[in-house]
Amino acid sequence: MKVPAKRSVQAIPALLVLLVFGQGTTDAGWIMQTKRGDRLSQRPARTLRVERPALRRGPRYAADRVLVRFKPAVADAYAEGLLRSYGFSSVRKIPRIGVYSVRTSPGASVAETLAMLRRNADIQQARPDYRTRLADTPNDTFFVRYQYNLRNRGGVLDIGPGIQPQTTAGADIKATTAWDSAKGDPEVIIAILDSGVDMTHPDLTAKVVSPGRDFANDDDDATDDHWHGTHVAGVAAADTNNAEGIAGVARNCKILPVKVAGADGTGFYSWIIEGIIWAADQGADVINLSMGGDFDDPFLEDACKYAFDRGVVVVASAGNDFGGPVLYPAAYDSYVLAVAATDYNDEPADFSSSGPQVDVAAPAVYILGPAPQWYVGEAYLPYVFASGTSQAAPHVSGMAALIKSLKPELKPVDIMKIIRYTADDVNASVDRGRDDHIGYGRINMERALAPYILK
Amino acid sequence: MRKRSGGAWRLISLGTALVLAATHAPAAESKVKTFMAGLNIDHFSRTIVWDGDTASSRLRASLVSARADFGFGKGLTLSLSAGLSLTDFEGLAFGTLPITIEYNASPMKGLVLGAELETLLFKSGNFEIKAAGRFVSSFGMSKTWPLEGFAVQGEAKGRSNWMEASAGPRLAYVLSGAFVPYLEVNARWLRTDFRMEETLEDLHGLETKRINGDLSFSVALGGDARVSDRLTIKAKAGFVPYAGGADILASVGLMYMF
Repeated sequence: MKVPAKRSVQAIPALLVLLVFGQGTTDAGWIMQTKRGDRLSQRPARTLRVERPALRRGPRYAADRVLVRFKPAVADAYAEGLLRSYGFSSVRKIPRIGVYSVRTSPGASVAETLAMLRRNADIQQARPDYRTRLADTPNDTFFVRYQYNLRNRGGVLDIGPGIQPQTTAGADIKATTAWDSAKGDPEVIIAILDSGVDMTHPDLTAKVVSPGRDFANDDDDATDDHWHGTHVAGVAAADTNNAEGIAGVARNCKILPVKVAGADGTGFYSWIIEGIIWAADQGADVINLSMGGDFDDPFLEDACKYAFDRGVVVVASAGNDFGGPVLYPAAYDSYVLAVAATDYNDEPADFSSSGPQVDVAAPAVYILGPAPQWYVGEAYLPYVFASGTSQAAPHVSGMAALIKSLKPELKPVDIMKIIRYTADDVNASVDRGRDDHIGYGRINMERALAPYILK
Repeated sequence: MRKRSGGAWRLISLGTALVLAATHAPAAESKVKTFMAGLNIDHFSRTIVWDGDTASSRLRASLVSARADFGFGKGLTLSLSAGLSLTDFEGLAFGTLPITIEYNASPMKGLVLGAELETLLFKSGNFEIKAAGRFVSSFGMSKTWPLEGFAVQGEAKGRSNWMEASAGPRLAYVLSGAFVPYLEVNARWLRTDFRMEETLEDLHGLETKRINGDLSFSVALGGDARVSDRLTIKAKAGFVPYAGGADILASVGLMYMF
């Protein structure tokens, strides 16, 4: 039997820390779906392999080439002569559809060339030659069908009998377009302070940097003996584009497991305090806390400040008590990003805690994530659907890790502001601006990571 | 890291112009043989790699300036010019701002000052070899753009400056008194900076893109055509080759002789 560490922080009253989690059941050949309040559903999973390539946005165009189509009455010889009269160094006809690929004159911009061509009455259309890219939407098995949270194309989220909600296209965190700008630096580490991480899980094994630290049992093995931490770690940074399971938000970033909750899903402030300090000292860039307690505690706040002062972005779930206050440490506004929950329609989730400390929200209803094989049983695929602000927080942690990857010079305070100010105010129709339910809004990774085009 | 403010460069540029003017002020009274004034239009493009960047982008500048040419005899001419510039920085990305900004806006306006000195080195028959040096500096006006689509109010504020110095030989053929064609080869040195400031409520970022001296060479053909006793048209066109392409330069001016 492992003995908890005897440190000064244990003098703190042993305040119960609740993981924001649910329960699951097992049944042969099914993905487990887990939701707060023990509501469950299953569907046959081994038949759900989906690999659908999709083309991503290509915003740029060739700097020295445009495409031109003449009006149907214009003869080819005249058209080519006209184009050459502009001084274009190369005029090439694309057969069948009457389009010319034209190399612009040296020194002339595409915009200038297009403006010039469009003034000619013989020309029907003149357009930039847009750049394409290979479609590299992740090939993870469940990405297209189930991970609406990362890219929501609308339609029915078919989880199982009785649970088939209609989703709204665009009610997502814009992960795929953001990945054009940043997929994450493997040197950037997200510490998952939770029930541990299943380090043998196929979607996580390559992402875990070390066995971590177990403050619940005072040893150096943060293996998950629950399921919650594994799920949270997967949402934040599951192995992506590995033709298996799910995609993680921070595709290439790494995971540092820190176990601060026991097998029953509860823990103590002392474990979290030690976990935060340990993770910060280990060089974590982001700390995810999908957990919290009801009581304000200066020692817990000091631990958050310690990490913050060392350049760590601390992210925590707001809590699953609708109408109730934000949990600690999420409520430490200066040092921690408090994350509330939205659903597949960008509606505030009906379980999300609220308060002035809420910074942003993220999808958190029916989120598919990894779970230990022993937990789901050998006959099941090791993934479960779960709902709760526990699932919202790792989206934000993953986003913070991507921002840190792209702009390592930014301080936590700046990363927190970027996450807040780039959010979509999805409940603006009822509560314009920042509000206590979803803060600044549902996070928008594309706005935070992709360049803003100044026009 | 070397750091020079736009103000310092302005002072250098203004100083240079003033020194040149002052140097020749007495000459203006006693030694100026000819004096011409008129309007000049210039355009050039430069494909450049900003310090710290790996990809190139293109700078395009168009200038309209008033110009005065002071001829001191023996082939020595000093030109001073002042006017407006429009500079396009299409595709320039400010990647260290909290939110990366990519510039795709209309050209930036600026005030431009220039000076050019030309002197005769050698003459044989109808051929003349001259040396010409030119210095042009554009002092950008700041411009503000709203940043839209964010949860808070935001704006970006930018200002750009550039200066180009060029020098090289000019081979002219005095075809007649009315037209003098020439071939010019120049070394061109460009320094530019673009300061972009980003504000989203209490989130601030500042990035200055710089090129602290980009050297390239140009070849140009030009000609001075005297269309009447007092009117002269000066025109020049050329290119600035670089690996994989070429930039262009062009200039045309109408001068009136007093």
